[in-house]
Amino acid sequence: MEKLKKKIGSISFWKWVIASVIFRLILIYFPQNLNLSSRPEVSTPLTSFRRLAEGYWLKQSSMSPYAGSMYHGSPLLLLLLGPLTVKRIEGQPNHILYSLVSVIADLVSAMLIRATGQNLQLAYLRTLGSLDLVKQIEGSEIHPSGDVAALIYLCNPFTIVACVGLSTSPIENMAVILCLYGACSRLIPLAAFGWVIATHLSLYPAILIIPVIFLLGRGPDAPPWKLFLQRHQQNGMLNQSKLPPGFSWGPIIRFAFWSLVWSVYVLVLCGISLKQFGGLWEMFKSTYGFILTVEDLSPNIGVLWYFFAEVFEFFRSFFLIVFHVNILFMILPLAIRLHHRPCYLAFVYVAIFSMLKSYPSVGDSALYLGLLGWFVNEFSDMQFSLFLFCGYVGVSLLSPVMHNLWIWRGTGNANFYFATAMVYACLQIVLVVEGVSAMLNHERKLRRLITGKTQDSKSGLLSDSSP
Amino acid sequence: METFNNSKPILLFLLLPCLLLYSLIAFNSSSVEAAMHTNNWAVLVCTSRFWFNYRHMANTLSLYRTVKRLGIPDERIILMLADDMACNTRNKYPAQVFNNENHRLNLYGDNVEVDYRGYEVTVENFLRVLTGRHETAVPRSKRLLSDEGSHILLYMTGHGGDEFLKFQDSEELQSHDLADAVKQMKEKHRFKELLIMVDTCQAATLFNQLQSPGVLAIGSSMKGENSYSHHLDSDVGVSVVDRFTYYTLAFFERLNIYDNASLSSSFSSYNPSLLMSTAYYRKDLYKRNLEEVPVTNFFGSVMETIHTDAAYKALSRINSGRFEAQTSLDQSVHHIEKRMPMKVNDQEETHNIIPEGEEGASKCPWSTFWNKFRKGENVDTLVNYGLVAMIPLLVISTWLVQ
Repeated sequence: MEKLKKKIGSISFWKWVIASVIFRLILIYFPQNLNLSSRPEVSTPLTSFRRLAEGYWLKQSSMSPYAGSMYHGSPLLLLLLGPLTVKRIEGQPNHILYSLVSVIADLVSAMLIRATGQNLQLAYLRTLGSLDLVKQIEGSEIHPSGDVAALIYLCNPFTIVACVGLSTSPIENMAVILCLYGACSRLIPLAAFGWVIATHLSLYPAILIIPVIFLLGRGPDAPPWKLFLQRHQQNGMLNQSKLPPGFSWGPIIRFAFWSLVWSVYVLVLCGISLKQFGGLWEMFKSTYGFILTVEDLSPNIGVLWYFFAEVFEFFRSFFLIVFHVNILFMILPLAIRLHHRPCYLAFVYVAIFSMLKSYPSVGDSALYLGLLGWFVNEFSDMQFSLFLFCGYVGVSLLSPVMHNLWIWRGTGNANFYFATAMVYACLQIVLVVEGVSAMLNHERKLRRLITGKTQDSKSGLLSDSSP
Repeated sequence: METFNNSKPILLFLLLPCLLLYSLIAFNSSSVEAAMHTNNWAVLVCTSRFWFNYRHMANTLSLYRTVKRLGIPDERIILMLADDMACNTRNKYPAQVFNNENHRLNLYGDNVEVDYRGYEVTVENFLRVLTGRHETAVPRSKRLLSDEGSHILLYMTGHGGDEFLKFQDSEELQSHDLADAVKQMKEKHRFKELLIMVDTCQAATLFNQLQSPGVLAIGSSMKGENSYSHHLDSDVGVSVVDRFTYYTLAFFERLNIYDNASLSSSFSSYNPSLLMSTAYYRKDLYKRNLEEVPVTNFFGSVMETIHTDAAYKALSRINSGRFEAQTSLDQSVHHIEKRMPMKVNDQEETHNIIPEGEEGASKCPWSTFWNKFRKGENVDTLVNYGLVAMIPLLVISTWLVQ
């Protein structure tokens, strides 16, 4: 019966995957990709495909691809995707090759998310088994979190829009997911490669090194160490085999070695390709410098542009530091609190930097919404879920309207658009906060189950599991 | 490619005496013939007013649209219209002017720049435009600022007769006035070649008196014949286009900016039975063979572009040498490379592939490779190989370490 249910589940999973790929292909064949690439929510100065085409043209004209402050991405992307910007096939839409690349990137990301999710779920069930909690959990509905996460990622309108709208977000997301997959499956060169590429493409995934270290050192998500001790000490026996392994430094040293190898490789390639145009320093100034100094103030779905349009020059550097430290100072407390759940920590980090980065887009939100699917079982009683869902739908509908009112009709002003951006930021904050509290509630529930069980085993009565 | 580079100085040596000879000959003849064709101008005149002359305004606006579509910008078009049709109270379609009863094209769209309108369309203003003798306060947009390299298209439509053209129902332009004006233009080097196209009754008589060289003229009917309107639009209530202009447009609508249909094909496309008159053209003053002259010499504007990298301080482009050779050869020939912008891309792409082939053919690969690397060539291919090698490296490392 279980096997049949699983089989049906997997068939409907593949049906949904194929449906979403077909839907993307249909949208690609619309004229001009539905003009999605001109929306500020989809294409930012970092992810815009038009800028990549411009950078490629500049490179082909023997000029630095960063001239004119149009292109701010990696020179390797330029080499890989540049020829796709000019290649045209008769009778097909203009950028069909690059759209196909994005679709494939999305598919690969979804498969990796599924694999990681399955990995996570197996590990978690194993730890629950070692805590002798499996019987309680088996009664309630457990969803295959890998499948759910992959489907959320594929069928999310944000992902579809980012894929069809010709931005480089699908590739950046693929790099981040590759890193997390490698870390979960203990494939250290793969994790190092993903981390180096993700950091190289956009600066912010660098903070994912902390969850990756925890993943490699200890393994995937598990309840806190204290619970294990409680469980087994109260039983009176310390069964060593049932305890999860301690922190191991070996994989981390190997990870450091491999990330060094990959970063040297990538930097050497970039240095060679930019030899005539100022070398690596030019690249760092135009990519990381551009991200950190927020030079381009064109509107997007984030909150930085509005503020930096009106800040005085004297205070500009101060506020730049404030906004970036806003991301950095949350790293340590979250790491302390959630160090036993590195994948969840990665999700929270991704959500935070997708919200607070200099040029956010819906492609970044697509990433953390997909990763959210790994924790559906833990988030089953999250508060405000309907409010958040309606909020996301509302913001994604209103934001283009406000943009149109402001820019095209002239009957609105920047405040209209920034209002939707602020609401969006608030929604994301609520999501993160409620997510963390849902996870902590889940752990409290587990602790109650364990302590309740031990109490009952002492007193000999059966306890009822709280819903 | 290398043989071409070697033979470049030899070619130049051969060309130099030819160029010297040619310039000597050219110096003796009038200086205008040595001038290169630099720009195209159009003077479009509708000499009628009042609602029942709707078709004359539609004629002129159709030709305005054609000429703009084929490339002449508004700065080089002088449009003279009475302009009382579009917003006439009798116009059922306000602000719209059609030249066909299917109403497919609104000629009075949002891109019409009329230079002389209403009562400004007089014989005096017309002659002032042609000869360039304006009062000082007349703005530049109302002047014909042509030079000795210009090709001018002069199109006139309205009511005419034996050796005259009626202007706005109150004055006439006579054929010798026109011939005088053209002669003045020639003296003042205001054109290189002039094409006069007239669509009125007995149009061919209007250029009986022309004598200046370099003038080509075509009229819709000969002496004693009328030019007829093409069809009546029962919705608007008047005839909307004349036959001669209708068939002219039928010829031009098939063209785009890069076509090189010849003038003779244009002139021979008029069928006297369809026109109900004989379209007569006068080419005794025009020295070139009509078969060789593309219509875009007068009706369009395709400029010869010479590509330079002077503004950019980067290293020279891969095929800049090829361009210099081409432009030096082109200067002495009146040949317009219409497809040059598209050729650039093809040449770029083919040239990118060539160095890779050369690399494989060298004898000592490592030293030549290192030399080329230091020179800065083939960098892209090296990085491409590096990128492509990353993936198998990743796969192998993952598989081995596992």
